[in-house]
Amino acid sequence: MNVIECKQLVKMQRNQKTLDHVNFSIKENTITGLIGRNGAGKTTLLKIIAGYWRKTAGDINVFGVNPFNSLFVSANTIFVDDQMSFSNSLSLLDLLEEAGRFYPNWDMSLAKRLFDYFGFLPNQIHENLSKGKKSTFNMIIGLAAHCPLTIFDEPTTGMDVSVRKDFYRALLKDYLEHPRTIIISSHHLEEVEDLLEDILLIKDGRVHLHLTVDGFKEYAVGLRGNSALIYQLVNEEDVLYTNRVGGEYVIVKNTFSHQQAKRLGLEISPVTPNDLCVYLTNTTKGGIDDVFKTS
Amino acid sequence: MSLKQVSESKIIKNQLLFKLNSFTGVFTSMLALQLLAIFMSYYGSSSMGGGGVYGISYTFSYYSANVVIAFTFLWIFVNSILITTRAYKEDDFHFVTNRMTQNLSNILFLFVASLIGAVTAMLSSFLVKILIYFFKATKGNYLAVDLNALEWFTGLAATILILFMLGSFGYFIGILVQWYKKLAIILPVVLIGTVMALASQGHYILPEIIEFYFMEHSFIVFLLKVIGSAGVLFAAAILISNQQEVRK
Repeated sequence: MNVIECKQLVKMQRNQKTLDHVNFSIKENTITGLIGRNGAGKTTLLKIIAGYWRKTAGDINVFGVNPFNSLFVSANTIFVDDQMSFSNSLSLLDLLEEAGRFYPNWDMSLAKRLFDYFGFLPNQIHENLSKGKKSTFNMIIGLAAHCPLTIFDEPTTGMDVSVRKDFYRALLKDYLEHPRTIIISSHHLEEVEDLLEDILLIKDGRVHLHLTVDGFKEYAVGLRGNSALIYQLVNEEDVLYTNRVGGEYVIVKNTFSHQQAKRLGLEISPVTPNDLCVYLTNTTKGGIDDVFKTS
Repeated sequence: MSLKQVSESKIIKNQLLFKLNSFTGVFTSMLALQLLAIFMSYYGSSSMGGGGVYGISYTFSYYSANVVIAFTFLWIFVNSILITTRAYKEDDFHFVTNRMTQNLSNILFLFVASLIGAVTAMLSSFLVKILIYFFKATKGNYLAVDLNALEWFTGLAATILILFMLGSFGYFIGILVQWYKKLAIILPVVLIGTVMALASQGHYILPEIIEFYFMEHSFIVFLLKVIGSAGVLFAAAILISNQQEVRK
């Protein structure tokens, strides 16, 4: 069953297309990583899925209905990001209890165990927490809500390394116990890579790639060797990245014969998903160095 | 994980409880304003003196809780605008809501606030009287209390209704401003401008409005006028906010 179905989804914001005919679907009980550069449209897409924002055109279905203004979608979805601000007049413990009142699957025991583990005090106020602590608390709400659709938008903002690791581990363990559909948007693919099943890569408001993590790892390889031989083997449009330092090195779509490459004496190497993402989503011509070349 | 259906009425009830728990600022500001008003009622009062015949002179001083009630009117108006602002609005969206349940729970909250505001404001008149009894009605000063239970309860009911209507007015304005931010400047200019322009033509609209609502002799007609106005304003607020995006 598909939990999310998007067809030709368009979102205009101030005459700018932030989502441009987006098509994809997400299956039930999977963890999908939503990857993209700053401003690619990740948050816009997630807020439309959560029912916060309206679509401009196209179709979006979550659990088979339009999420905007749907109480059903709201009850079965939780959206966690670093912008969550809670009332000052409630303590952290009060907030957990309030959340428990609203979410039908709320797991108070898990919430309290995480609460104690991360060293929160019951009468602390959300506003007074540090950035990382706020993110950690929001994460607890996101996990304990046990919503069939759980969305984390940049959940690790401000968290230190060990809390991040704990968070991913907690997410995975809880997911195994209570399978559900999870979407995580992140800049740090290398951190979430082991957790994910699918990767949804968006670029300039469009879906660039939607593959399993294994498919993503096999999507491209690095080739090193004689430039003429390389271009004899692969099409130029399949080349994602070129580096001429220390011999020709290209990252190229994995659509050519590996045997032939070996015969030509080219060296094949795997590309990490994180590097691949960087090359796939590179929008600028040249590099940051070019900015400083004024003459 | 299985999908759960939730009932609208249960969510509205939860939202109301959440609001009563977390919007404590609304009630502390009420307390502060009413205490200030009680203080003003105790000190400031209208007096009328006379006498001189046979060497007797007298002064009547009128004390009432009208200032407290006026301050409570102001309080509900300001706070009904406040609960439409971003921080309050987003609170609901961290949990389970849609725009309809949010509006309905806000309306219920305003009704409960009207109830609490009216009861405390009306009871404060007794506090003023007790203060006067103990501290002013001494050494030849006498306290006369004009109290009629039926009148008091009618006054209470009328105060609740007027507070609720003012709440609906503030809520409507708040929603309008959330919908189009520049209205925060345009609305007061247009409203005050119209009132002043009409006044310069010899047409005084404010006394007419006050007369329309407050000088009504039949309680039923008054009830219909007030509930009708509140209903129209709330319905308009719901219509406008129903398509609005949150967490921008």
